[in-house]
Amino acid sequence: MHGRRRQAAKEATVDEKEQNRQRVEKYCALNDLVMQNKAQGVYTRETLEATHRLLELNTELHTVWNYRREIFANLPEWQDDEQRQAMLEKELAFLLEIILKNIKSYWMWYHRVWALRSLPTPAWKGELALVAKLLSYDARNYHGWDYRRFVVARMKESLDTDTQRDDVDASEFAFTTDQINKDCANHSAWHNRSKLLPAIMQKAGGALEQQEVLKREFDMILNAIYTDPDDQNGWLYYDWLLDVQKDECEKQKLLRDKVAAIRELLDLEEDSKRPMVELVETLVALEKIAPHLVDDERKKECLATLERLEQIDTYHVGKYRDMSKSLSMRWGL
Amino acid sequence: MATADNQQDEGVYGGLYVDKHVAYIKSLDKRHDEMEYWMTEHLRISGIYWGLVALHVLGRPSALDRDEVIGYVKRCQNADGGFGGHEGHDSHLLYTMSAVQILAMYDALDQVDAARVVSFVCGLQDEKGEVSGDVWGEKDTRFAFISVAVLSFFGATARMSVAGVVAYVCRSMNYDGAFGSQPGGESHSAQVYTCLAALAIAGRLDAVDRDRLSSWLAERQVRSGGLNGRPQKLEDVCYSWWVLSSLQILQRTHWVDRRRLCEFILSAQDADAGGIADRPGDVADVYHTCFGLCGLSLAGFDEYPLGAVDPVYCMPVDVVERAGLRSWMDKIPESWLAQ
Repeated sequence: MHGRRRQAAKEATVDEKEQNRQRVEKYCALNDLVMQNKAQGVYTRETLEATHRLLELNTELHTVWNYRREIFANLPEWQDDEQRQAMLEKELAFLLEIILKNIKSYWMWYHRVWALRSLPTPAWKGELALVAKLLSYDARNYHGWDYRRFVVARMKESLDTDTQRDDVDASEFAFTTDQINKDCANHSAWHNRSKLLPAIMQKAGGALEQQEVLKREFDMILNAIYTDPDDQNGWLYYDWLLDVQKDECEKQKLLRDKVAAIRELLDLEEDSKRPMVELVETLVALEKIAPHLVDDERKKECLATLERLEQIDTYHVGKYRDMSKSLSMRWGL
Repeated sequence: MATADNQQDEGVYGGLYVDKHVAYIKSLDKRHDEMEYWMTEHLRISGIYWGLVALHVLGRPSALDRDEVIGYVKRCQNADGGFGGHEGHDSHLLYTMSAVQILAMYDALDQVDAARVVSFVCGLQDEKGEVSGDVWGEKDTRFAFISVAVLSFFGATARMSVAGVVAYVCRSMNYDGAFGSQPGGESHSAQVYTCLAALAIAGRLDAVDRDRLSSWLAERQVRSGGLNGRPQKLEDVCYSWWVLSSLQILQRTHWVDRRRLCEFILSAQDADAGGIADRPGDVADVYHTCFGLCGLSLAGFDEYPLGAVDPVYCMPVDVVERAGLRSWMDKIPESWLAQ
């Protein structure tokens, strides 16, 4: 339903119509067979094979995936660990084959989760490597990232010591660093990093060590911001780090650093939309915690910037007008 | 495209191919020679929901056969009380939602045993408040929304832990103010819609970081005027719904350029065969037709009297009113209404 180009309407030839009719007939016959087997609760290797053929044709039949899981659980082999392991490994290989046809299928990703949960001896490291490979094809596939988080969580559960679990977190954190170094606009990587950072900070040790981690984080995000000032994500992540930074003095300093960075960017390019919006928002944030640092001139600059933004970014005029109104009221200007 | 002079004769209004879209939707159940028809059988009930909403928005709510549709919906209900996407298909919240929405639009909710539906839905919430889509256990904030929405149609939200749903949704909030599919999931516009809608029904919109989220949503608009689902992704007509309904709940649809959005949606129409596609030049489908039209309605397209759409339920406002479910609007934080 997504991304299919319209072809110029052509009347199909008699041959093409017949071919299509046969395809439809074959598919419907297989579908009807499988659904009938299911309704009658038939759990055999034959019905399993029929579901395999049908799912190859249509990966989105979640009822058939359900039925397939039921068949597995009802086969005598399921009760024996070794045989179950073999069956499920085969299933994972089958899934890998067909998931590449539709890498965004909720049903298939969940079936994989089911398989891993049902394996007597799941190979978590192998799964991690697999999802890393899939993410190398499509670094923004959130199914892949969700699955990665599932694998990591299960991996940690299977470990014995806290140190081992901390190592997994550190390794995941390093994975996001790699992804970001490849492409600092990889929001999926930044997102995952944001989920790992609190634990990384906590494990770092005392207040000093934690500040070190945070400082490195600020440096990293500033780098991303300089690389692409128009990317909203970098600024959002910076703002989030400001929330994480509980030390009021540091917060003030960081807000001023942010203003300085913005001014540098605006020196390079005057009418740069995102830095301009950030300038206003940062001065507003600074004024809230250190009013003496934002004088009337700076406040007027904010309003003038918003006015200019209305001209250069006509898509968001409504937002800028709301901001102007709210600031005028707050500052009595 | 038709010129202004002969437009209304051809059922075209300000570039909107009203008659073509109605004909397109009515034709969908007859395409038995198309592989696509059979390959989408598993979500037929949702297809009907999308088509029916579109027809309501176009002012043709009676264009399908009421009795036939209601009969079909009833046949999709299973012994466990839930509904499948088609007869004989397993129950799932996605299709249970579509079933209830269709019945509500036909004012026929009394034709199903409410207790069975409620029992199916309540059984899918766990001790942590998280909600699965079906008995197989896949969790997602979409299902959290659907569970409270379905129960609200039967006045039964108190039968589940709404507080649990709210907590689950809040755990799915990210640093950008937007929401993911589960705690830890990346922000995505469709999840933003479902999470906001869930919070709206629960009367807990106060839990939202309104400014941060509004800014994130506003950035979904790209040069073409279309909206994307998350940063750096392609614009797609269905986000005209997910993003715009979210902004509507936040009372900030004016934070995007609605005129340009309308132009984008109109450009994704199939002027020959009818229907709307995900983007210009692509094949139309009933899903994008529904969300494109809902988007046009929310965006204030006024060259044709489009029916108003409730941004929480994605259903006609008059239907939601009749069901007594517009009360979520009374619980919008005061400060949101001031501006």
